[in-house]
Amino acid sequence: MTEQLPLIETVGLKKNFGSLEVLRGIDEKIYRGQVVSVIGPSGGGKSTFLRCLNLLETPSAGKVFLDGAEMDPKSKDLSQYRKRIGMVFQQFNVFPHLTVLENITLAPCKVNGMPKDQAEKEAMELLEKVGLADKAQVYPRKLSGGQKQRLAIVRAMAMHPEVMLFDEPTSALDPEMVKGVLEVIQKLAESGMTCVIVTHEMGFARTISDRVLFIDGGVVCESGTAEELFDHPQNPRTQQFLSQVL
Amino acid sequence: MGPGILEVLFEYWPIFLKGLLGTLKYAFIAVSLGSILGALVAMLSLSSHKAVHAVAAVYVNVLRGTPLLVQMYIAYFFLPMVLPALNQVSKEIYVLLALILNSSAYVSEIVRGGIQSVDKGQKEAALSLGLSSAQCMTRIILPQAVKNILPALANEYIAMIKETSLAGTFMLYELMYTRTILANKFLSWQPLFIIAGIYLICTMALSFLVRLMERRLKVSD
Repeated sequence: MTEQLPLIETVGLKKNFGSLEVLRGIDEKIYRGQVVSVIGPSGGGKSTFLRCLNLLETPSAGKVFLDGAEMDPKSKDLSQYRKRIGMVFQQFNVFPHLTVLENITLAPCKVNGMPKDQAEKEAMELLEKVGLADKAQVYPRKLSGGQKQRLAIVRAMAMHPEVMLFDEPTSALDPEMVKGVLEVIQKLAESGMTCVIVTHEMGFARTISDRVLFIDGGVVCESGTAEELFDHPQNPRTQQFLSQVL
Repeated sequence: MGPGILEVLFEYWPIFLKGLLGTLKYAFIAVSLGSILGALVAMLSLSSHKAVHAVAAVYVNVLRGTPLLVQMYIAYFFLPMVLPALNQVSKEIYVLLALILNSSAYVSEIVRGGIQSVDKGQKEAALSLGLSSAQCMTRIILPQAVKNILPALANEYIAMIKETSLAGTFMLYELMYTRTILANKFLSWQPLFIIAGIYLICTMALSFLVRLMERRLKVSD
């Protein structure tokens, strides 16, 4: 595993908002096929870390590599990186003016130039997988929160990304909607998709993750396998955090 | 007192009609061309480039912070000296130019507000899918912003119908100018009530249409 080239690597990743240091130097490697959960207290930098991985946030210092190639935040064409990285947001961010089907086909058609009928065929297969095939022609306002998030996941999947980033995918959901969304993510992870998941669902993080990162104060305080981190946390901050949430 | 209001209306209705058509025409030209210019100014004011943003801000503040009547006087008396070419076409162009520029400042704020009202998560989602900034604007942001922009733009047209009454001061044939014509026939007060009535009917009818439009746009949301 260690001989392999990491799919995503950050080197000395820092991010400031004004005088506020949100990330204070993160060196991480995420390998192909790995499922990595990122946990930690709010405001600790988890989401900012995730958003730096597809350059939605421009790092203040440090580098991010995708499959060995440095992603240049000053590049005129950031879409060349972003189309290889899927992202799912806490607030779903589905497009309200497009139908469920159009939400999915937009990027494959406009970014990759895929013919419309092929994009629609693939989109229907994806909708089938998440139980939304009968909603293909409706607008997102008719969907529940859980359905919107499942749509957001397959919308990202339609670009055949090499890695999926999840930014607290269930935090904005009603409790009864959480399970359905987590099942979709789990299926995705089991299919071999590389996933980075920022989450507050500790039980889920524990069962699904190959590796767990605990981020607080803008640094990775501790990382390890789910067993190591949840059962034998070494860092006092990790211990304190886990004792509060578990 | 002289003749009554209805009497004056029946006798001189073609004059009022011509005035009304002038008003609608000037308002339409001002808002249409003002919208194109205003959309450009809005793009400038949304620029992350500080200098570009500042230029747009000064433009908007000057035009919104000074009276339209003063702008018209400057356009009428000063512009012919620096832009004499337009004088060959017609003198009214200078006044119209003031209306267009004035409208563009208000429209630019409408467009900017419409774009900024779209949740920023929409842009992030579009970018994360690999859409370019331009695709993101045309495919995701603008289609959603239009719902906020269109009713406000229609309201700007309604406001402009009233604003054009100032153009009569410079002999442009619009509704308020009919007062000058009929004053020569020793009708001092009757035309004023007729003019006010016509303005009121126009603005109320258009406001009603705007409300209908807003309701339609809400349904499709």
